[in-house]
Amino acid sequence: MTQDLRDKGIAAALILLLGVTTLNGRALAEDAVTIGVSTTLSGSIAELGRTGLAGVQMAVDQLNATGGLLNKRIKVVSADDGASPANGASNVRHMILSDKAVAIFGPVSSAVGTAEETVAGQYKTLFVAFTSNDIKITTTNFNKYAFQVVPNTVMEPRAIAYYFAENVAPKAGGKRIKIATITPNYSYGRDTVEVFLKTLKELKVDFEVVAQEFPQLGATDYTSYISALLAAHPDYVFAGIYGGDLITFTKQAQGFNFFTQTHIMAPYGRQAMRALGTNIPDGAIAWDRAPFWAEKGPGFAEFLSSYHTKMNAWPSAWAIMGYSAVQAWAYAVKKAGSFEPEKVAAALSGATVSTIRGDITLRACDHQADVPEYVGVVSAQVHPQYGQPIYSQTVAIPASKTMITCEEAKKLQP
Amino acid sequence: MSVESLAVELLSAMTTAGSLFIIAAGLTLVFGAMRIANIAHGSFYMYGAFLVSTIVSSFGGGAFWVSLVAAPLIVATLGMVVEVTVLRRVYDKDHLTQLLATYAVFLILADLAIRFWGAQSRAVPTPAILSGSMRLGAASFPVYDLFVVGAAAAIGLGLWILLRFTLLGWRILAAVEDSEMLAAKGTNVRLLYTMVFGLGALLAGFGGAVVAPLQSIDTGLDANIIVAAFIVVVIGGLGSVAGAAVGAMIVGLFQALGILWTPSWAPAYIYLAMIVVLEIRPSGLFGTAEMA
Repeated sequence: MTQDLRDKGIAAALILLLGVTTLNGRALAEDAVTIGVSTTLSGSIAELGRTGLAGVQMAVDQLNATGGLLNKRIKVVSADDGASPANGASNVRHMILSDKAVAIFGPVSSAVGTAEETVAGQYKTLFVAFTSNDIKITTTNFNKYAFQVVPNTVMEPRAIAYYFAENVAPKAGGKRIKIATITPNYSYGRDTVEVFLKTLKELKVDFEVVAQEFPQLGATDYTSYISALLAAHPDYVFAGIYGGDLITFTKQAQGFNFFTQTHIMAPYGRQAMRALGTNIPDGAIAWDRAPFWAEKGPGFAEFLSSYHTKMNAWPSAWAIMGYSAVQAWAYAVKKAGSFEPEKVAAALSGATVSTIRGDITLRACDHQADVPEYVGVVSAQVHPQYGQPIYSQTVAIPASKTMITCEEAKKLQP
Repeated sequence: MSVESLAVELLSAMTTAGSLFIIAAGLTLVFGAMRIANIAHGSFYMYGAFLVSTIVSSFGGGAFWVSLVAAPLIVATLGMVVEVTVLRRVYDKDHLTQLLATYAVFLILADLAIRFWGAQSRAVPTPAILSGSMRLGAASFPVYDLFVVGAAAAIGLGLWILLRFTLLGWRILAAVEDSEMLAAKGTNVRLLYTMVFGLGALLAGFGGAVVAPLQSIDTGLDANIIVAAFIVVVIGGLGSVAGAAVGAMIVGLFQALGILWTPSWAPAYIYLAMIVVLEIRPSGLFGTAEMA
């Protein structure tokens, strides 16, 4: 090779390199818009946060694969809150100020949820709760940038109470039903059990409460709780315990023949049914906020199979709701023709959005989505299609039955 | 309340006490001999449980018994590596630095656990011969829980023999009393510390392995157990294995009675037990005041 040719080669390579760099530089400068997910990625509820984040990421990948939003690529930044409100608040502040996030997608824990909502509101940034479900997000802590696409702490227990009154109570044959409850000792646990019992009363179910237990969130030992519950001889045990805690409770209860002495009602969802397999209590009454086997919205089948291919597991309710949360936001961005949170919030308020969960409407009065809660009966059989147990009966309790009225919400809002 | 219910409640309290004792014994031993409050003890417990789940899921349910031995040994090795690489550098520093060092190890091990095992909850099936339940009149009690109580008793007995009748045990006790004198008498205290820390990790790993079939195994176990273990150790007196046994029983009983009588306040009972004991005996039931 002559000197001349080599020089030309180097020059060409340099030009190529420079060209690529400037192209890249321009691309980065003008087309990335950031959204933030601050959630729990470590500790005993990490599975909820991690699968939720996977759902958000898949929705964003889908948007980017079809040209992004308003010709811009979407980028997700995420951070672990360690289930602490202080961490959640500082993550969100950092995402808004340093990463220039235009929307924040919410955490796992309700306590973190209200903290994040407050910070997002202070900086006039959109906030969408899709896993934590505190009704305060849409009532006492409400701000106009906040939205919730998950059945809240009133909708969920009310739905279970409706199911109980319609499908379970009539079987008691006029006898008074003895109910015991066990829920974690923080706002979610206390609120959920209170609303459940209050709704049963409103529905004129004849019952008495024989025991109420409130173990710590993340307890590793339920044996004393289990024997105390059994000593009260309840007909039904309302166990509002989540995640790994529910698996621990179930495993320990099995040795006490708990499930032959009483009936359990608990949020057995994908995580518990996958971990427990055929050891799941057959015939348990269970609820799930978005079960993958019952969802039938447009595009859901494609989402289900691509999620399974990518993650080698079926999506959790958190993944499904995370996906639909991004869909709702994307809809509002397109409608507003802008990423400006002020305009996006205005476009989303009162809007009806087509998601993989079907059409959902985010009420203008409190920004709560009218999503159903699913209640059903657990089957311990491995489902041939899904390779894990699911419910033998799944009933969607519509939001119209369970949401508080707009007048009630308005009265509670600041 | 019927007699059977009360018996079941007391047995439940013993199960709680048994699993707490196994982990607290290792924690108190390490503190007594080395004066280190080891936060990473919770990580060793979690690794014990995770290793059992890995061994059982790769080799089948029959491998549970093998894993009960293998998992604690692997964790003990990990503990010795931590002692040699991290703790040796902080023995001459103040308590706060030591606490920060073990907390750093705790955070690193928690992150590595997520890398190795992911965030998915895992469940280990109860071994077939221990999976049934025992009848107590109208009530039932899990056979596996009795096994946990038995394992705790065996650990207690083993530690008593070790500390009473073996040279290693005497040296550990001597280190609790006065490690400088022990070094002056020609004992290799460095090696002794590595062995004590390894033993502590072994007990934590065994604690996690034994309760693996009773729990959801996920990445929060480390933090969830360490607070309870510290409470047991503080009640019993830092450095005392007998104290850990009594402390675990007190915590188990207080919790069970709290759940039975005033369920709304149940989680507060073990803290109440700790406050009462510290008010009466500030160095714990079996503890002696640290000499300056």
